[in-house]
Amino acid sequence: MQYIDGGSVGYNIAVLIKVIPDLEQIKAASGTGQIQIEKVPLRLDILSEHAIEAAVQLKEKYGGKVTGFIFGNNESIPLMKKAYAMGVDEGLVITGYKENNPTLTASVISEKLKSLQFDIIVLGNQSADTYTGLLPGMIASKINARLIGNVLSIEIEGKEVKARKSLEKKIEVVKAQMPVVISVTQETNQPRLPPVMQIMAAGRKTIQSEEYKGQTPSYTLTKSRVAPKSERKKQIFEKPEDGIQAVVRVIKEEAR
Amino acid sequence: MQLFSALLIAGLAISAASFIYTLYSIFWNAVKIPEKPYRIKASIGRRAYITIRNVLLQGKLFKERSGGIMHALMFWGFIAFGAYSATFFARGIDPSFQLIPPGEIKNVIFLTVDVFALVVLIDVFYAFLRRWVIKIPRYQGYNGFEAAFILFLIATLMITYYALGILRIDGVSRNIPGAIMESIPSSYTPVTVFFAGLFPKATGPLSVDLYWTLYTIHALDFLIFLVYIPRSKHLHLVAAPLNVILSKDRQPAQLSTIDFDHETRFGATDIRDFSWKDYLDFYSCTECGRCTFNCPAYLTGKTLSPRDIIWDLREVVLAEGPELRSKGMDHKDQILKPVIGDTISETDLWSCTTCMACVEQCPVMIDHVDKIVNMRRSLVLNQGKAPKGTLETYNNMEMYGSPWVADPSTRGDWAKDLGVNILSESGNDDFEILYWVGCVSSYDRRNQEIAKSVVKILQKAGIKFAILGSEEKCTGDPAKRTGNEYLAENLARVNIDTLNKHKVHRVITGCPHCFNSLKNDYSEMGFKAEVIHHTEFINQLISSGKISIAATQNDKEEKFTYHDSCYLGRYNKIYEPPREIIGHVSDNYEEMSMNKSKGLCCGAGGGRLWMDETVGTKISHKRIGMASDINASTVVTACPYCMIMLDDARRVTGLEDKMKLSDISEFVASRLTD
Ligand code: SF4
Ligand code: SF4
Repeated sequence: MQYIDGGSVGYNIAVLIKVIPDLEQIKAASGTGQIQIEKVPLRLDILSEHAIEAAVQLKEKYGGKVTGFIFGNNESIPLMKKAYAMGVDEGLVITGYKENNPTLTASVISEKLKSLQFDIIVLGNQSADTYTGLLPGMIASKINARLIGNVLSIEIEGKEVKARKSLEKKIEVVKAQMPVVISVTQETNQPRLPPVMQIMAAGRKTIQSEEYKGQTPSYTLTKSRVAPKSERKKQIFEKPEDGIQAVVRVIKEEAR
Repeated sequence: MQLFSALLIAGLAISAASFIYTLYSIFWNAVKIPEKPYRIKASIGRRAYITIRNVLLQGKLFKERSGGIMHALMFWGFIAFGAYSATFFARGIDPSFQLIPPGEIKNVIFLTVDVFALVVLIDVFYAFLRRWVIKIPRYQGYNGFEAAFILFLIATLMITYYALGILRIDGVSRNIPGAIMESIPSSYTPVTVFFAGLFPKATGPLSVDLYWTLYTIHALDFLIFLVYIPRSKHLHLVAAPLNVILSKDRQPAQLSTIDFDHETRFGATDIRDFSWKDYLDFYSCTECGRCTFNCPAYLTGKTLSPRDIIWDLREVVLAEGPELRSKGMDHKDQILKPVIGDTISETDLWSCTTCMACVEQCPVMIDHVDKIVNMRRSLVLNQGKAPKGTLETYNNMEMYGSPWVADPSTRGDWAKDLGVNILSESGNDDFEILYWVGCVSSYDRRNQEIAKSVVKILQKAGIKFAILGSEEKCTGDPAKRTGNEYLAENLARVNIDTLNKHKVHRVITGCPHCFNSLKNDYSEMGFKAEVIHHTEFINQLISSGKISIAATQNDKEEKFTYHDSCYLGRYNKIYEPPREIIGHVSDNYEEMSMNKSKGLCCGAGGGRLWMDETVGTKISHKRIGMASDINASTVVTACPYCMIMLDDARRVTGLEDKMKLSDISEFVASRLTD
């Protein structure tokens, strides 16, 4: 269904955004190796930023409106501002996210998507914290949309989406009728630096939120969360030549 | 002779009208088109000083000696010659008029005229030689015709002065009404007398005709000059003195500020987005090229030329001015052609290291850097455009409070085993002085040595100090200089809050970029504390006897040189302390070919540290080459940015075994005595 705004026709685009703890700042407790994520600042997953960029570029090129969705918790709400600043028009944060459960996330989000009838749904092909990569497929099947994964670029003609996507050794061009779920990679684009006027406007915009009150069934049980033990030799070479030789030697030995 | 008077009056009226009208239209542009405010303080004393120094005494011109002397003599000659021209026209209009009453004063004034006319003539010849025979590089390709025409006018003015003088000596003009200088004894015009001796005595009616011919040429020459001034680069005769008088209090000036609550157009996109003072800058430019020929980017083969930035903006203003004048400037929302793109390329804007060499050299006190940063602001703040590396630094500064991806909780880790009061961990506000470490020395392994050396020195001197640890964030310098004023301001506010929370009254820092931010930018935002760079602080510790240093055994074989950091030197005029420190241990010291206020940048400032340098030679390679030219075995620096750049240059150009690089703190820490 095409989105109509003041007489101009465009597309109804959704972008799915994940809020994750900043991986650079996660530490393992010395001794136990227990991962500590409580105090780690939150950020938008980098692939979500690529997804926002792709959605906003489509809007800018073909007209329409972009709605952002976050399934997270209360702390995630302010992060929608960055999405606004980048060009997302409206945002909904569904709070009540408890733990990684792709099936649940897919159904919570699909519920929303179904009722709003989107033409195009964009999201990252996976997220940097859990790497399941399940969501694009699950959502496409739940809302009965076509899936085009790992796209490099997207074009639209009427109700048809044409995308170039990268496969292992070749590039494929795929066409599909809307509604379409599109997943993006880091190669798809370069997320923009929002102009200041938009950052400030984003600060004044309201962010809708509602709570998911249902169950969070655990299909898997996380028994422990510890950092992998890595035996680093921690050798430091003051002179690069020595270092390079040492590295080459090690690589040769490993390869054998 | 009333005909002559009438013609002279008409000529003067026409030239003066043309002169005034051209000036009017040019200044209309400056008053009506620009929309950005320019804030200056009265500071009468400073203005008087700077006018005497830089206008009357031509102070800034002497940064290049030969050209400076030439111009200063020309300038003084012109002022002296003004007495002649004024008398010439006054008596031409009213032959009985005495502008200066006859007497000793008048005699001395005209003695000056007589001597300076010769000086100017020689000067013109020298200028000709410089431009067309010696071919000084910075003049090449720039308005040769204009320069030639002006030199021709000046030479003609002086030659006709002497020719008329010879006729006076010969007694030809004695009875011509309105002839001037008749009352001056010939002993007061020695140069004219000398020239008169070279020619046979002029007599007869033809000599009167000759007098009037010369008289007419002299008058016309002057009138043409008057018409030509505001239409050429000689507009600087009018604009440059004003530009100097109205310059900012502090030199080099701070970047202009942005009022984010009220402004809606950020930075400089088209000619409206400047201030009237910027326009005065454009008009003052003489195209002399001193800026460009000291610009590290230009000198290493980039296309950036600060002269072209100023001159091209001036051309746009002068080209668009007439149309805007006819349309009126009332429609605020009219769309003007952006200056970024066709006029000034983005590449050039990003090539600038904000080193201030151009500003330092410019004789008429033009501020190139503010304009360049303002145009960067237009790209960054309105369009989100910047080089890839720069966009990444923005993300990192926002996320980690550092231009690099670095876990902020580890910021103080380098100091963990050194017995340092790390405020983010101790919360113990019992300290006298805060050591502001900066991102580079906090995270970069090579530069952590600087921080450790500073700690060693402070501990040796028994100073009660602390560091902020993970509470310290990037000062915002890399954001500010690349045009992201919004991010820079946010970081500054957070830092100022932190500093105030710990009641910091004295700060020392090892990074000139942090130093400049804390001292000059933060103070404008309400941070009141004494900020000292470690070069000065260490030098004070040595001179007050709190620490002492001695040469090591190896120092006897060493040859030292010092590389000036732009943000310490040109930005904050700290040149001597590091040199004094080195002087304490060694006499074997030599300056590199560009030093102190002319020091060549390392290439890292203005956010360039995080951008690629792919065109021409790397600036850092050129600089390290200069150290190698004088066979320096140790280059001393006082800036972590310079350390990164020069260390890399040293390795890449194969000087690693021949040349050491040492921060002044490392230099001192390794030579401390008990
Ligand atoms: S600040 Fe330095 S790099 Fe920038 S234009 Fe001036 S001289 Fe060139
Ligand atoms: S800006 Fe200053 S230094 Fe550069 S050409 Fe113009 S007058 Fe000369």
